Amino acid sequence: MDRVKTGIVGLDTMLNGGFLPARPYVISGPTGSGKTVLIAHFLLEGLRLQEPCLLVTLDEPPIEVKSNMATFGWNMDRLKILDATPDVRAHKRQRSVIDVGTSLDVRDMEDVTDIRQSSQVRALEVTVHSVQKMIKQEFSQHLERTKQRYKRIAVDSMTALKMFSMEGQDSRILIQSFLRFLAELEATTLIVSERLDRKKLETEFFLGRGEIRMHKWIDGNMIRHAISIDKFRGSAFDDKMHPVTIGDKGMVVALDAPSQIRGTSPEGKPGESLLETRLIDEVSNVIESVMRQIEEAHRRQIPIRDVEVALSRAMLAFQRRNYQKAMKIALACDSQLRERIAEAPPPPPVAMPPRPPVIR
Amino acid sequence: MIPAARMRTGIAGLDKMLHGGFVPGRPYIVSGPPGAGKTILAMQFLREGLEGGERCLFVCLEEPPNELKINMRAFRWNLDDLDVLDANSDIRRFEPTPLLEISTEEEPAKMRSIGERIRKTPDFESKEVSVHSLQQLLKTLLVKKHYERVVIDSMTALRYFCMREFEEAVTTQSFMRYLAESKVTSLLTVELPDETEVLAEAFLARGEVRLHKLRDETGIKRFVSVEKYKGSSHDDAVYSFDITNAGIAINMTPRAPTAS
Repeated sequence: MDRVKTGIVGLDTMLNGGFLPARPYVISGPTGSGKTVLIAHFLLEGLRLQEPCLLVTLDEPPIEVKSNMATFGWNMDRLKILDATPDVRAHKRQRSVIDVGTSLDVRDMEDVTDIRQSSQVRALEVTVHSVQKMIKQEFSQHLERTKQRYKRIAVDSMTALKMFSMEGQDSRILIQSFLRFLAELEATTLIVSERLDRKKLETEFFLGRGEIRMHKWIDGNMIRHAISIDKFRGSAFDDKMHPVTIGDKGMVVALDAPSQIRGTSPEGKPGESLLETRLIDEVSNVIESVMRQIEEAHRRQIPIRDVEVALSRAMLAFQRRNYQKAMKIALACDSQLRERIAEAPPPPPVAMPPRPPVIR
Repeated sequence: MIPAARMRTGIAGLDKMLHGGFVPGRPYIVSGPPGAGKTILAMQFLREGLEGGERCLFVCLEEPPNELKINMRAFRWNLDDLDVLDANSDIRRFEPTPLLEISTEEEPAKMRSIGERIRKTPDFESKEVSVHSLQQLLKTLLVKKHYERVVIDSMTALRYFCMREFEEAVTTQSFMRYLAESKVTSLLTVELPDETEVLAEAFLARGEVRLHKLRDETGIKRFVSVEKYKGSSHDDAVYSFDITNAGIAINMTPRAPTAS
């Protein structure tokens, strides 16, 4: 059977030629381990072979994806990109919420120029159902327009989808249905998912027809990357872990040198967990203080919309255990707010009730 | 007591570990993390049955039958006479549409007649699989076709997608009970997370074969152990195995896994 090439030479060899077509696969790994670079390679390879490719982005706005890809010097203008990033959550009640599914936003990569601004009157919310509807709509419209089916689809990321839209619902069934939906499209699909809890069996990992795991760990003062295949139905594969370098040409898998784990497990050293708890405390303190200042700013009607957006990103990073990033953003928010509150005119004097005359 | 005739598993090493094979008419579990080889083990169990002229049923809950067929092609086993029941739920609709309970609709298909492409969700109705309808369907099928070996792949999918969360424990228990009462030898696959805890199903099954997957510098090492086997002695040791062109091959020189 014809294999679907990933565009990464070493990885294709590890996969015994490539993915089996028309199936969903999972790419897992911690933040910053190269998952998005991997799917970019996969989509780029598709474009090179003149195959229609679709990127569904839930994590980063398309403009950021574009600029990130530009640093590798890749031309991905022909890539279709479906923007399913949710809007800034409206915390006020009068705004109406509309489903993303009703406002289809698919563009060629080259047309991406700006971040979509959240509308002031309504906010887009993303649900599994609406994303599914968007993909389906785009799939059939594309088929009609060009008489071609999408061959490669990448969803970045499932973690975001789960976090944004599956709270309180029976997420397992929703994921099952979503994967079934992707399988029925008969495109080869890569789903990016972070494994948040190693003790929990996440649905997409056993329903996916294969899992490629990205590893990242600290070795002295170096961050090392590695890649391994943990599951691949219906094919033999190379089960060794191989070192990966991410350079200006993208991702390179070094096949001849097996990754040296040398006692340091990719999960981190014991000392790190203590450091981590302290970092967590620190970050949540900063976030809390920022929230207080936001309230203050609201009271004094200082425009701080952008800071609110930034803070929500810090919280997202925090939730995903990327504490360093959360810390960085939160601190930036903090200093911005201080500055603006200091610059703003002093609060209007509070109307003081006249003092009752003192009677002697 | 005269030991009952054993049912061979289709894997020589495993038969040895089980001191002859499975005691017929009971439910067994094969557990392990994703990618450990559970489906392959289950398929070898059915193939052994087919070679002996037994009637066998494979219930697909995880992957569509067309993919199963393609995946198994590499082993070149003759599975043409295997009955495959497609119990994958369709894409959920989020608006009310007529639901088809599979008990009224579905018939197992012979492996040889399964097509290359995935079955599509029809436009105006969708099939949903609930544990009750599946149980109903199995009941009818067992009466009609007298299956000797049944594989449910996987029990985890059944739990996750076909039961309501609050009644999982009770429903699982009742389903296992049903399998035990129906006197068919059944093998249920169960997905384990990377770091394991004890499973509810394992209490209820008559035996559990566990597959382990460990990673070290040289790649993935696979091991098999018999965790529990009621009504029979068994081998306690942990053996390593490989997945070869001929399926699972157990290396009978015992070697304990070295956890990293």
